[in-house]
Amino acid sequence: MESSMQNSNPTILNAADLPTRLRPSSCKAGTYGGGILASALPSLADPTNFSLSESEESDEDVDLMEEPIDEQEIYDLVSTISDPEHPISLGALAVVSLPDISIKPTLPDVPSSLLRTVSVLITPTITHCSLATVIGLGVRVRLEQSLPPRFRVDVRIKEGTHSTADEVNKQLADKERVAAALENGTLMGVIAKMLETCQ
Amino acid sequence: MAAVDHPASSLPHLQLLSDLTPPSLERTWLTAPHPRLPIVATCSSDKTVRVYSLTNFRLLSTISGGHKRSVRTAAWKPHVQGESVLATGSFDATAGIWRRWDSYGQTTGDEGWGLGQEITTKSESQQEQAQETDILRQQQAADNDSDGGADDEDEEWRFAVLLDGHDSEVKSVSWSPSGMLLATCSRDKSIWIWEDLDDGDNNFETVAVMQEHEGDVKCVAWHPVEECLASASYDDTIRIWREDLDDWGQVACLRGHEGTVWFVDWESVENAPVCSEETLLAQWKEDVKRELSGPRIVSCSDDRTVRVWRRQPKEQAATGGTGMPSILRPTGLDETWEEETVLPKVHDLAVYAVAWSKRTGLLASVGADGRIVIYEERLVVDDASAGESQPMDTDPPAAAAKGAVRPEWAVLAVLPGAHGIYEINHVAWAKRADRGRDVSREEEVLVTTADDGSVKVWTVKR
Repeated sequence: MESSMQNSNPTILNAADLPTRLRPSSCKAGTYGGGILASALPSLADPTNFSLSESEESDEDVDLMEEPIDEQEIYDLVSTISDPEHPISLGALAVVSLPDISIKPTLPDVPSSLLRTVSVLITPTITHCSLATVIGLGVRVRLEQSLPPRFRVDVRIKEGTHSTADEVNKQLADKERVAAALENGTLMGVIAKMLETCQ
Repeated sequence: MAAVDHPASSLPHLQLLSDLTPPSLERTWLTAPHPRLPIVATCSSDKTVRVYSLTNFRLLSTISGGHKRSVRTAAWKPHVQGESVLATGSFDATAGIWRRWDSYGQTTGDEGWGLGQEITTKSESQQEQAQETDILRQQQAADNDSDGGADDEDEEWRFAVLLDGHDSEVKSVSWSPSGMLLATCSRDKSIWIWEDLDDGDNNFETVAVMQEHEGDVKCVAWHPVEECLASASYDDTIRIWREDLDDWGQVACLRGHEGTVWFVDWESVENAPVCSEETLLAQWKEDVKRELSGPRIVSCSDDRTVRVWRRQPKEQAATGGTGMPSILRPTGLDETWEEETVLPKVHDLAVYAVAWSKRTGLLASVGADGRIVIYEERLVVDDASAGESQPMDTDPPAAAAKGAVRPEWAVLAVLPGAHGIYEINHVAWAKRADRGRDVSREEEVLVTTADDGSVKVWTVKR
């Protein structure tokens, strides 16, 4: 890590102001972007799916299959990651925020596809922060380790918040580079330290 | 969206022959079919290479202990008799060379399946029997591998040499058509060309290091017959490289893709679009000056497209004798390549690999969206010029006189979710070798390699 900090005086949000889940997770399936419900569209090829498409009670069946995952849950997974420079969470630094997280079908033209893309936009604390790639990688690693394999993770720098956003985004989207980074001991040491504060 | 969810038996479609078992438990990146034998090598993130049989789809042996990180890529050296030679490339920044005698398991000593001429004259059943004996012996060897006698050493994969030079992950390796040269490429933006000295001592000599790419070099692929290399890169370009006298250099830079170019492959020299009429085919060959433009290249990219590139017709390069000494590399070798076509768009996400069948001319592409797409090139007579009287001012005279023929790519089959929810990293064509094949013709199979470690073998049903 750098000897001198890139941003020695970041803005920190009060923990009480951070978004938390107000309601239990078993709310209507419709709130999950229609994702899981969409996968239960009538399909002659799969009678199991067909039976799920009927009514409200399908919620329970879906819950049995897999805990629904919504934006708040993604936020909870990544907001507790520590900044590599400060012992402060990415949530408190507003590097990640709930409105900048979305979950969408990966293949919108294929209604039966179970694939979902989780997009997380990152707002670096300063526009030239060279640690943006490391933070992005930390978020990506955290989500890939926590989410079921049908989720694709898309981590990008929020538009207009970083001087070399395109470069960082291309790197974070390259699966081969990410895979190689995961085998880099030094880099993974930094990431592991960032993830220490996650439950 | 041309997805075929329920392929009727009458429509062309992909049919699963088998999974290769047991699979790797970690991500697999690439599967390389052997040039002579019915075996493939699968590269895994678990730092090993698995060698599977295409006859019974079972694991034959696992090559391990050479690489410290993921094995990303592998390629079989062509034209080796009596022995199999495999080059591997790893995230540990090295390339490895592995050797194994083909005769292992054969009671008749050196009469392995490797002796091309001999074996093809044998009956299919004899050949199959020989292969099965070999497999059986390997499995026996695996069962009591604790013995570790001198015999085992002859029978196992020998780690011959480690090629050290790249600064970071090796992404792709490729042998030249003669097998003399090995190209390796890396995230360090360079391409290295090594000469296999074949001196019995496993010595390789660095012939060239090319550093023109401005980003990771993702893939290298040799021309089917010439010493000409194509490379694909994170800098969104494809580059062509040739040797001029003693120096290797870039002869063309192909721009057009709007994202990382993940893979490149060449067509065979004899390939042509599907066409029943000989005269039309002859006309096409003349139109594109096939003899002078040479085989085309196919590429695929993060921009979700698959593109075909063609070299502008070029007279044979006059080597030397121009009487014009120059300290600069003569421009005589420079080539102009143009994008011939963008194939019909089917993929919704990055396309990671494309394979141009050297036997049938069919193209296959795979990628992050989990689809396998098969394309066929057909020669069509342009309706415009054939249907109505040719407008003199628009058509070039030559085309108008003969009626224009043009190649057209059609999507033959699409298989969504071929590996379930997992991304597909690689696709390759191989000669079919299982018992279900039609021995009267040379059938092909498609081998796909995915993120969950699964490798599947498919046939194209037409």
